[in-house]
Amino acid sequence: MRHRSPDFWSGLALAALGAYIVAQARGWDYLTDDGPGPGFFPLWYGIAILACSAWLVAFGKSPNADWRGTGRALATWAAVALSVAVVKVVTFAVAFGALSFFIVAVMYRRPPLVAALVAICTVAGFYLVFPFALGVALP
Amino acid sequence: MKLALAFLAVLVSSSALAFKPTRTIEVVVHTGPGGGSDILARAVAGMIEKEKLLPVRMQVVNKTGGGGAVAAAYLAEKAGDENTIGFFTGVWLTGPLTSPEYKVTLRDLTPVARLVLEPALIAVKADAPFKTMADFINAAKQSPGQLKQSGGSPTSRDNVVRQLLQKHTGARWAYISFPGGGERIAALLGGHVNMMVIEPAEAGEHIRAGNMRVLAQVSESRLPGFPNVPTLKEAGFDIPAVPQVRGVVAPPKIPAENVLYWEDVLSKLTKSASWKKFLADNQFEDGYQNAADLTKFYDEFTGRMRGILQEAGLKLVR
Amino acid sequence: MDVATGLLHGFALALQPLNLLWCFVGVLLGTIVGILPGLGPPATIAMLLPLTALMNPAGAIIMLAGIYYGAKYGGSTTSILLNVPGESASVVTCLDGYAMARKGRAGPALGIAAIASFVAGTVGVLGLMLVAPPLAKLALAFSSPEYFALMSLGLAMVVLLAGRSMVKALLAMLVGLWIAGIGTDVFTSQSRFTFGRMELLSGIDFVVVAIGVFALGEVLANMESREEAQVLPVPKGLRNLLPTMQDLKDCRFAFAQGSVLGFLVGVLPGAGSTIASFISYGVEKAFSKRRHEFGTGVIEGVAAPEGANNSETGGALVPLLTLGIPGSGTTAILLAALVLWGFKPGPLFIAENPGMFWGLVASMYIGNVMLLVLNLPLVPLFAQVLRTPIYVLYPLIIGISFVGVYAGSGSLFDLYLLAGFGLLGYLMRKLDYPSAPLILGLVLGGAMERALRQSLMMSEGSLSILVSRPISAVMLALALVVLMIPLFSRFNTWRLRAMEQEES
Repeated sequence: MRHRSPDFWSGLALAALGAYIVAQARGWDYLTDDGPGPGFFPLWYGIAILACSAWLVAFGKSPNADWRGTGRALATWAAVALSVAVVKVVTFAVAFGALSFFIVAVMYRRPPLVAALVAICTVAGFYLVFPFALGVALP
Repeated sequence: MKLALAFLAVLVSSSALAFKPTRTIEVVVHTGPGGGSDILARAVAGMIEKEKLLPVRMQVVNKTGGGGAVAAAYLAEKAGDENTIGFFTGVWLTGPLTSPEYKVTLRDLTPVARLVLEPALIAVKADAPFKTMADFINAAKQSPGQLKQSGGSPTSRDNVVRQLLQKHTGARWAYISFPGGGERIAALLGGHVNMMVIEPAEAGEHIRAGNMRVLAQVSESRLPGFPNVPTLKEAGFDIPAVPQVRGVVAPPKIPAENVLYWEDVLSKLTKSASWKKFLADNQFEDGYQNAADLTKFYDEFTGRMRGILQEAGLKLVR
Repeated sequence: MDVATGLLHGFALALQPLNLLWCFVGVLLGTIVGILPGLGPPATIAMLLPLTALMNPAGAIIMLAGIYYGAKYGGSTTSILLNVPGESASVVTCLDGYAMARKGRAGPALGIAAIASFVAGTVGVLGLMLVAPPLAKLALAFSSPEYFALMSLGLAMVVLLAGRSMVKALLAMLVGLWIAGIGTDVFTSQSRFTFGRMELLSGIDFVVVAIGVFALGEVLANMESREEAQVLPVPKGLRNLLPTMQDLKDCRFAFAQGSVLGFLVGVLPGAGSTIASFISYGVEKAFSKRRHEFGTGVIEGVAAPEGANNSETGGALVPLLTLGIPGSGTTAILLAALVLWGFKPGPLFIAENPGMFWGLVASMYIGNVMLLVLNLPLVPLFAQVLRTPIYVLYPLIIGISFVGVYAGSGSLFDLYLLAGFGLLGYLMRKLDYPSAPLILGLVLGGAMERALRQSLMMSEGSLSILVSRPISAVMLALALVVLMIPLFSRFNTWRLRAMEQEES
């Protein structure tokens, strides 16, 4: 694994996507009476993706990226995804407030009081600007 | 006895009108702000308010996506909700036939009323060699597949008219889809296609400026704005009218008395002066049908569309 | 009515106090709407339509038009400061604009955006005024083969956006093409790549992808380090808050080509301001001496696309006012508004309503001046946004992204998509895939496929239609030339190295 550049893995993933696209495209009409069908373009760009990603797998030489901070980034993403998943259940205020709190307190290690303050102020700000002043619904 | 009957009648009619909306009515449309259904819904809401046909306000809610699929699904979610209605168009009827992603069809919802029929015109560029519909059909017969028509998707009324005409006359010509109305008109005016089916409102100005010529009307009777243009039937092409429709629908599991109430409101609307003016301004035809007739229309329409779309070479899923 | 008389009448109308007020209201609203992602001119204009019934039509169209071109001014603000495209056309501004902000030059970036918008916006109005009818006729000659050639030219620009790895840029573009293909095929009603979900039937909205990949991706990437370091240095001192004379000089070409290209692309019905800004950016990069620095914060890289998306509004009004053909979502609603007030937009509109037309044109000059006066002094104020501590700023960006996307479509599914694209944006950054080609492929992919298939339907299957028509042949040739550029430069380096070896 140490010897494989990250290009190898992203190339593989993209090759899988390319294969999926080509497989789907084969199920649609390539050519119809009136001209190229729905399968025409996807087939060709699917093949192009396969070709390019194959090149990448074979010859890709990018240096390994710095993965040290990825845990934090992914944790934040998980928090974001979770907050979207529950927003209809717990209302935007709670979902977003919790997310802000998480980011400030956990990611940036600020004291909980500051985190709570930020969360409350931003949520209030959103409610003030969007539904109140502009009449735009919040999630 | 007569008194008893009269008393019963009053009782029945008053219970039929026992439903009265108490909250703002949510009107669901499947287009974004400014789209066809949106404009119609806002216009209807405005007229109902003006004629004081409802004790509450109406609020238009846009649920875009999937050509009506998202709006239909939203209405289905609101089953039993008495304060929600939706505006449907032809897309709600044809979409489920070709796209498996549609979870809710019009039949799953409660039909309320059909409101308008949108007629259309068959137009060509002013310097085209076709003076009548017959000219175009004959030219198409002589060079099959070479004349071109611009229009929307293959399930749209534009193509349906083409399929019906082709079947009826044996002529064949190509159909090129353009997603935007502006592009279709530009293709015609630029001479890249030979003919298009166009709405009277869109065509008016181009005809007045002398850039377009109308060969025939796709409607039951001649539109007041085009007294000299024959309808397709009058021109000798007796094809079934497959109109572009718009109407009102409600979530499932609505009690029958609510439907009666809405029918009542809408039929009063269609008799009002502002409605007549609205129809005239937009060159629509009044196509009011109550819920029962709408259901029959829906079944008939879908059945006919299945046949037409299959002949057009589309893959059907329902 | 000739131009001079018309303009005089127009200014007489536009300078009436009430109409001036509506103009100001319109451009102010437009700027605000442009700044807020997700809320765009079409929705705003549609919401205000009922109110306009109470106004006189001239004032109403002046206001609505003000919203239209005002939004283009505001769209660059969040693009530059937060990497959040405020409007789909502002996506290209994110590329160099945000890079400039990271280098501490947010002020000049915002300033040049306003100035370029002013110059180009004025050129756009000039174009509308002087060449509208003949240009409209010319635009009608443009059809599917020409659109295909134009899109090919646009996609060929990917070689200019490539950066280090051409293969990765190509892959990003191809994935963009794929995302553009998700939805219902317009020619056959065949559902493609919808995974059975009805929300994907009409495809994925460009704004969702752009905000996800740019804004969310950036925030996630920045989450990696816990340091307190000021991520966005705040420019200090008035001199650093506005573009310098040198900056203005560097942007001369950008001002010129952005204005002209944007206007011309705007005239074509269907080609939008996003395409205009991409092409202008690509052209600027192709001709710039600093082309290798593009993407790292080059000021012309902000001026060109910002100019193009502003003059595009002038261009888009050409088919609307001379033919009654709306070329985009906003012009479609403006058309509906005109019809609502009893006007009949079409070929006879200008001749029959000279007052309205010239009044509108005059108000657009005034509006552009108002916007410049509004936006320039606000630049230092906006730059202060960067003072916010990052632990407040990032939650804010995330919040604005979600609220903005939800405001546009009301769909929870779009929020899931947004989160997904945020992750994609982050991964692309880590794995060194450039994101501009992805956006390019997404914007152009759908249009290009449609144009090709329409062209082949027109020619009954013959590809020769693409080269037998002069305009499309020329553009396809240009596309080929653009594709050859990296080959030329590599050939050149090889040649130079060979010469050096010979000499040694």
